[in-house]
Amino acid sequence: MEALPCLPGCGAPTIPGEVSSRACPYYGARWLLALVKGALHLVHAPVGCAYYGGSVRGKAYRMLSTALDEKEIIFGSEAKLARAIREAVRLFPEAGAIFVYGCCAAGLTGTDIDGICTAARRRTGRPVVPVGCAGFAGTSQGDGHAIAAAALVRFLVGRAPPDTAAPYDVNVLGEFNNGGDLGEIEDLLGRLGLRVRCAFTGKADITALAGAHHARLNLVHCRRTGGPLAEAMAKEYGIPHLPVNFFGLAATAASLRETAARFGRERMAEEIIRAATTEAAPVLESVRRHVTGLRVGLYFGASRVGMMAAAFRELGMDVVFAGAQFGLAEDYAAAGAHMTVGGRLKDDASQWQLEDFLLRERPDLFVGGTRERFLAHKYGVPFMVFPQKGKPYAGFNGFVNFARDIVKALRAPVWQFIPGRWAHVLGD
Amino acid sequence: MRVTEIPVEGIPYDQLKVEKIPAAPAYAPRDPELVAAADRALVVNPDRTCMPLGAMWAVLGVHRAIPFVQGAQGCTTYVRYTFCRIFKEPATIATASFHEDAAVFGGRRNLVEGLRNLAVRYRPEVIGVVTTCSSEIIGDDMVSFIKAARQNLREELGAEAADRIAVVLINTPSFAGSHVEGYNRAARAFVETLAMARNTSSNRVNIIPGLLYPGDIREIKHLLREMGIEATILFDISDTLDAPLEPPQQIPYYPPGGTRLAEIREMGNACATFALQADAGGSGARWLERKFGIPAVAGPVPVGVAATDDLLQHLSRFTGRDVPAALRAERGRLVDAMADTFHHTMMKRVAVFGDPDTVAGVTRFVCELGMTPVAVAAGTASKRFAQEVEAAFAAYRELFLDTPKVFNGGDLFEFEEYLKTLPRLDLIIGNSKGVDIARELDVPLVRVGFPVYDRFGYQKRPIVGYRGAELLLYEIVNAMLDHRYPDDRTQQL
Repeated sequence: MEALPCLPGCGAPTIPGEVSSRACPYYGARWLLALVKGALHLVHAPVGCAYYGGSVRGKAYRMLSTALDEKEIIFGSEAKLARAIREAVRLFPEAGAIFVYGCCAAGLTGTDIDGICTAARRRTGRPVVPVGCAGFAGTSQGDGHAIAAAALVRFLVGRAPPDTAAPYDVNVLGEFNNGGDLGEIEDLLGRLGLRVRCAFTGKADITALAGAHHARLNLVHCRRTGGPLAEAMAKEYGIPHLPVNFFGLAATAASLRETAARFGRERMAEEIIRAATTEAAPVLESVRRHVTGLRVGLYFGASRVGMMAAAFRELGMDVVFAGAQFGLAEDYAAAGAHMTVGGRLKDDASQWQLEDFLLRERPDLFVGGTRERFLAHKYGVPFMVFPQKGKPYAGFNGFVNFARDIVKALRAPVWQFIPGRWAHVLGD
Repeated sequence: MRVTEIPVEGIPYDQLKVEKIPAAPAYAPRDPELVAAADRALVVNPDRTCMPLGAMWAVLGVHRAIPFVQGAQGCTTYVRYTFCRIFKEPATIATASFHEDAAVFGGRRNLVEGLRNLAVRYRPEVIGVVTTCSSEIIGDDMVSFIKAARQNLREELGAEAADRIAVVLINTPSFAGSHVEGYNRAARAFVETLAMARNTSSNRVNIIPGLLYPGDIREIKHLLREMGIEATILFDISDTLDAPLEPPQQIPYYPPGGTRLAEIREMGNACATFALQADAGGSGARWLERKFGIPAVAGPVPVGVAATDDLLQHLSRFTGRDVPAALRAERGRLVDAMADTFHHTMMKRVAVFGDPDTVAGVTRFVCELGMTPVAVAAGTASKRFAQEVEAAFAAYRELFLDTPKVFNGGDLFEFEEYLKTLPRLDLIIGNSKGVDIARELDVPLVRVGFPVYDRFGYQKRPIVGYRGAELLLYEIVNAMLDHRYPDDRTQQL
């Protein structure tokens, strides 16, 4: 594999008039905070933002909104917000914290969300966390991740009293427990004798967050979202961090080794790796027979594109397109290292560019999110949804699931019924 | 006569065992002062979304049309997600991509450059410019921006090519109404911008379906075909958001179908306009009436026997066509199905929630089935909704076991808390946002209306017309049977 010479520019604003898959900082903030258990989510905006925010990450959550109307846009909405926070606490006294999201309308009308939250914090005796995530305050949801991460570190992490009884505790940062990924990771770390204290934010409740600074090591899974958290926690609490990757056998093994080395448990790691690779070998061998040499395109949300490119490469597939809605240069470098020469790297690919790829390159498989899925299907291209639902892709067992899902997507009989397509995949 | 005692399997109704609704262990009684939505500044679990979604829904029903959203990227992305999840189709929606510079200097550059980029790359025939809360708050002068964008397009593409692209401005400040109003404004904006009259009499009718699914629109087309009536369906999403899988040979991908621009221009010549949902689309119909004198019929949505009868009679009156035997037979089959199932539906307590037009239609139909609508909730407040459900109640009140409670506006939290105070509930009819409520109350949920994203095929299955009502009836009965006899394989119905 030759590294590609040219990496895409990252973080540039989307061109007006494009059909982009990027979302706004509010979406990014919701993505990061949606699974924080024990907290209320109050969206200070017209009602739509809360309505849509309720289905972020595929689940329905209780969503609170101030549902701003014309009157408040004109005369100010601070009194309404203060009243809404009071009401939220009265209605749901069990809430351990309240996230107050400030969206476009609040940002443009200049609502003092910070001030109101400070007052409410004093009055209610619990964290009332301002998350200023107006839709225009960044180029993509990635900026919202950073805003939410900063809010977590500032208002929630570190509130628990000192605790020295946890010498083998780690946090996993940038891990969202898609399809149960975290279960696999916890299991592997558990076999090393390590305990996941808090996973930001796949397994994070208010108490776990409050004590997260007692962990001895931060494992950074998604770099885009976990990186800023790790740096903030290193600065504030001196916790070292280690980038890890649990997608793919080789990557999982390497991550386990490095983690184990930090705790002097190298031998345990080797045993786990040996047992797991032996177990996975026959399945992966049969999968490789189906997929070797097939061409895959990747396009999804965050920056796991580098990790996923490596995982597909491990199965012998050619990664011919890799893109993310808001990637980091190092992720593209990682993806590029696992790609076929001539493959394309693209940040914030528009629908037009994706269609161009689907029509011209006719990939054997495309991997991405909901919005790309139905487009790929229209072009007759098998599609695999990532982040996946329902089953883990992380760790050794997860990789087997992942490999099986590829075969399922490729071999579905439906592709035979599309005129003129997939003859080459099906072997004639 | 007020019915107080109906023998159900030999047991008088009031002697039936009444089960307490199980509450989840985490449930704690809420502050009663704050349960009613009207008493709160806070909205908990909203049952409506913002205006731009309705406008984008409408634009996607026009042939080779792309909505252009004058706002931040989230306004586009969230709606694309929502549509993809509901329709299982790609949704092409362009963003103006507001960033801090737009927030400070206004969105003129975004619109002018955006329309140019969209026109050059995607070559649409129609662009629906949809505003958002941000563009409305910063006070973008959209009319002059569009004028500038047009001028720019003419210079770049040549006057002829540029003028072929119709640009329709739909003002949808998110804070001033819900998605229902967004659709309504889109209907009005399209006819205002495009419809013309040539003073030739025509037998065509205009149909503005409202927030109905592709399956519903197909059913409406079926009724029209059987009646032999030509119609323009404004915002025909039946093919654009339910397209066949036939890989396109070129990009960009446009689904087949959708209302043609030429048809919309002709809407000023029709003999009548039917806005099937009065709140979503009524203002377009009324504008055509004022401007061209085309009679407008706004609502009720043709769900159930009476409302479908109503629609067909109106159609017949305006076009002089008789209702054919085939449709009478469909009606007969629906009535037969109602006769076959009334012992399952009579006196069952049902709660209905969702968009006002749909809820009003479904409420009338469940009344026709002899059910008691104990609570009906429209997420969007609407005067029309209150009148329609009250009219349905008045016709069937003597059958009711309880007095129905009407929530006009309000949120799902209020609705749920009210349902928890009821002694017994047999069924909830509403959208996918009701899953948690149904689970909490241990009551089956029949999915109807916008949005249904957690089941397959609901967007293709009609609830309008006689056949749609029959399907809905089966759905209702089977949901209750599934709930009561989930594993019973010997039940003989």
